[in-house]
Amino acid sequence: MPRRNELALLPKLPLLITESADEFDALRNAFDQEIKPRGIIEQMYVHDISSIAWEILRLRRCKVVIINSAFRSALEHLLVQLLKGPGQYDYEVKDKAQALAQAWFTDEEAKKQVSEILSRFGLDESAIEAEAIRRSSADLELLDRMLSSLESRRDKALGSVAQYRASLAHQLRESADHIIDGKGILRLEDAASERSTAA
Amino acid sequence: MASERQIAANRRNARKSTGPRSGTGKKRASRNAYRHGLTLNITSTAAFAKQLDKLVREIAGDSRDAIVLERARTIAQAELDLARVRRAKVALIERASAFGEIDPPQAFSTVTEIKRFLNAFGRGRPIVPKPVDASTTMPSQGPDRSAEAVRRVLPQLRKLDRYERRAAVRRHQAVLNFFGRIKASYNR
Repeated sequence: MPRRNELALLPKLPLLITESADEFDALRNAFDQEIKPRGIIEQMYVHDISSIAWEILRLRRCKVVIINSAFRSALEHLLVQLLKGPGQYDYEVKDKAQALAQAWFTDEEAKKQVSEILSRFGLDESAIEAEAIRRSSADLELLDRMLSSLESRRDKALGSVAQYRASLAHQLRESADHIIDGKGILRLEDAASERSTAA
Repeated sequence: MASERQIAANRRNARKSTGPRSGTGKKRASRNAYRHGLTLNITSTAAFAKQLDKLVREIAGDSRDAIVLERARTIAQAELDLARVRRAKVALIERASAFGEIDPPQAFSTVTEIKRFLNAFGRGRPIVPKPVDASTTMPSQGPDRSAEAVRRVLPQLRKLDRYERRAAVRRHQAVLNFFGRIKASYNR
């Protein structure tokens, strides 16, 4: 487990008002259990990995909300297209489409009515979702780019822990070799003889 | 493409330009590349300097080697830079969540609106556009509001992400250099 003073030295990850500090701590503990960091540098990497993972979760939540919030306007747009008869203008069916789209979220009867209209054209509710995704594609694209950048940084941070451990292990091996070969002892003897010569 | 004569003339003219002369001009020019302050040295505030020193001491341990200490300082500085960018990200989202936007709305958002205003003004009946309160267009529920705020500041978040990535690379490089030095000093 990390030492308390090491954790206190690292800057805390700022959270949004709507986010839970306990949930972040749980995520951080999960990474701690998995990676078992030793020393401040490994702590830094784990802190980094948990911060990135937290941001990935934040953006994924945002992605769902973006699609959900585009549902009403998507349904309205779709209904205008489906309700419009030949030679009719959009504004002639706009009010009905608006009312139906509004009621779809709360009224079972309206839901049934929308399903009937959709099925007349061989469509189902997935058409609404597809339209919602199409309407928010610019935001979703930007979000996806940010998500892939974060995922690549998380993977790099995980790789960094491994690289750091490998270089630490290499250094420890070399130090052990030094001790076994007696180089460390020799150096001490040299220093002692240098001191006696100087005296 | 510029001819050799043009290139020579450009160089002659450039030599005549000696940059800003007045104190105000020099001060203004010194801030030409300033964008958001995220690349500022974090030791510029006393609190940061104190936090930085503590972190350096923890990284370097008992070492008194000046190079080890310097490399530990680079790691600590990059770590605090990372924290600063993360704070900026959250502050940006919270601001958008509270106000609905980062920049204040423009009085006119389209050319048509400007034309309409000028025509009405010409007829002696100016229409003063009502200010739009962007916060009223935000969802009222907490998590949905935060998500909408994230959506509204996505371009800015992406820019900050670039700084965060750079700071992370700088820190990793500093860690490798730090270890290189520790190894070298041990082998000496």
